[in-house]
Amino acid sequence: MGVIKPIAAETALIDTLDGATGWLAQLREATRMQGLPTRRHEMWKWSDLRRAASEITSAGKITLTGAASDALEPADGETVELGVSASAGASAAALSLVVKSGRSVTLVERYSCDAGSLGNFHLDITIEDGARLERICIQDEAERGVLIASSSIELAVNAKLTQIALSFGGKLMRHETHVAHAGEHSEANLHGVYLLDEGRHNDYTTSVHHTGPGGITRQLVKGAVAAHARGVFQGKFKVDRAAQLTDAKMTHRALMLDERAEIDAKPELEIYADNVQCAHGNAIGTLDETALFYMRQRGIPLVQARALLIESYLAEPLDFVTDEALRDELRARLQQRLRAIS
Amino acid sequence: MLKINNLHCKVEAQDGAEKFILNGISLEVPAGEVHAIMGPNGSGKSTLSYAVTGRDGYEVTEGSIVFNGEEIGEMAPEERASRGLYLSFQYPVEIPGVPTLIFLKEALNAQRTARGEAEITAPEFMKLAREKAKQLSISMDMLKRPVNVGFSGGEKKRLEILQALILEPKFLILDETDSGLDIDALKVVADGVNTLRAPDRGMLVITHYQRLLDYIKPDVVHILAAGRIVKSGGPELAHELEAEGYDKYIGEAA
Repeated sequence: MGVIKPIAAETALIDTLDGATGWLAQLREATRMQGLPTRRHEMWKWSDLRRAASEITSAGKITLTGAASDALEPADGETVELGVSASAGASAAALSLVVKSGRSVTLVERYSCDAGSLGNFHLDITIEDGARLERICIQDEAERGVLIASSSIELAVNAKLTQIALSFGGKLMRHETHVAHAGEHSEANLHGVYLLDEGRHNDYTTSVHHTGPGGITRQLVKGAVAAHARGVFQGKFKVDRAAQLTDAKMTHRALMLDERAEIDAKPELEIYADNVQCAHGNAIGTLDETALFYMRQRGIPLVQARALLIESYLAEPLDFVTDEALRDELRARLQQRLRAIS
Repeated sequence: MLKINNLHCKVEAQDGAEKFILNGISLEVPAGEVHAIMGPNGSGKSTLSYAVTGRDGYEVTEGSIVFNGEEIGEMAPEERASRGLYLSFQYPVEIPGVPTLIFLKEALNAQRTARGEAEITAPEFMKLAREKAKQLSISMDMLKRPVNVGFSGGEKKRLEILQALILEPKFLILDETDSGLDIDALKVVADGVNTLRAPDRGMLVITHYQRLLDYIKPDVVHILAAGRIVKSGGPELAHELEAEGYDKYIGEAA
């Protein structure tokens, strides 16, 4: 494949990653050879990154807080609070995190980015035999920025991953997770909530690759999208022939808050084993007019009734957050956001 | 108290077609009185309740709805509610994810705020809810569940009346409150309604059958056919209908 002629954002990203190693080196090479992904890439067909980055001309910076090194190994019972903030311009950063055998760890990631940013952040996560990771990703302040938060997660046997991502979108926001699932009593939960106001774009992309037998995967993603905003959900379960007795279930449900909203969903099952339970469900709807009238007849003003209905529709995945204070925080953020946009 | 004059209403169907359902209803319910509206299926009974409470899609094209001296025909449903208009739904709506107590507290406080009154505090509200729930044999556990979700038909109707007891509206419209109720549930609901009867409160009881009116005794009975009141009279009119059916009125309206 020939090298493409880079746009300014690509040049800035390539330059800033000069001399990088690991995932960052791969990102540099992929950008140099193919450019930023566009609609022509199957995995990016609804999130044209190159187009979203077209006005970016310089290098930026990702500021990380809460990470003492770029290879984290939290203690049992520890909560890691990670802040990821991208300034204007093209930037990238990466971290690795290992949950050692038998440990239980909570990871809270808070993402923000400035207007005119193209931030790339990658996490390499290993969850060892018998370990547990609860991962909470909050993407809140992202006015007009572009942010890609990706992760590769190795899930060993007897291990458990629970991920809950709450996103309010941005100029283009993509949260991408790839899980290598060893099965054998391990469990992956990949939940998410997105609420998008006018003009915002959010993309929640996940793939789970079951390589060993008897693995469990659960996914519940809920969204609500306003006019001229776009919500993208891509979920894939791949089940190898060796992964017999896999039990995997994917559900994506979203509300169109306006006729001019757009929701693109691609639930995908690729199954090579013959004795598995795999299912996906995908439903796009609108707010229940009868329920709205019922609430208004009881005296609740339209704006408040809508907010209450949207909140009750979206809140379910947040119930998977174990820590009560964190669960309350996520719920409060959702309520705040609903108040702000209604 | 509620004065409906020459009301015409058209309804937008799901296919976008418009249909006139009310063709000039006139009706006056003074404070302290209970009026019953009886009529065959399709006569416009539910449409009348939606037109008076302001549901979207029920457009008043002619006539007026005056409530306590104020024209309310153009008001939003929540504005009419905060002025004291309450509709007990024929099919109470399920609202998953919203606990009944939270819903009721939000509703009560929204109405109080709209009327310029102070909000009720959480402990005051719990006391009120507990007291009224007891009256209708509703458990507090039931009120912690999402609104109407998983409730039986009887429980839903009892909850409609509980909401009225808590919100204390000035005027109630009961739309087919007896449908789906066995006789015991009907008595509980009727008892609840009867405790709401007051000299400063009016009621419009919409029903297909006379049975409910044995328990909630009306002052006046109106017969609705083809979107108009075709006859009004005393409680004996309900018994006459039960014996003779609606046939002659359907003929008269056409």
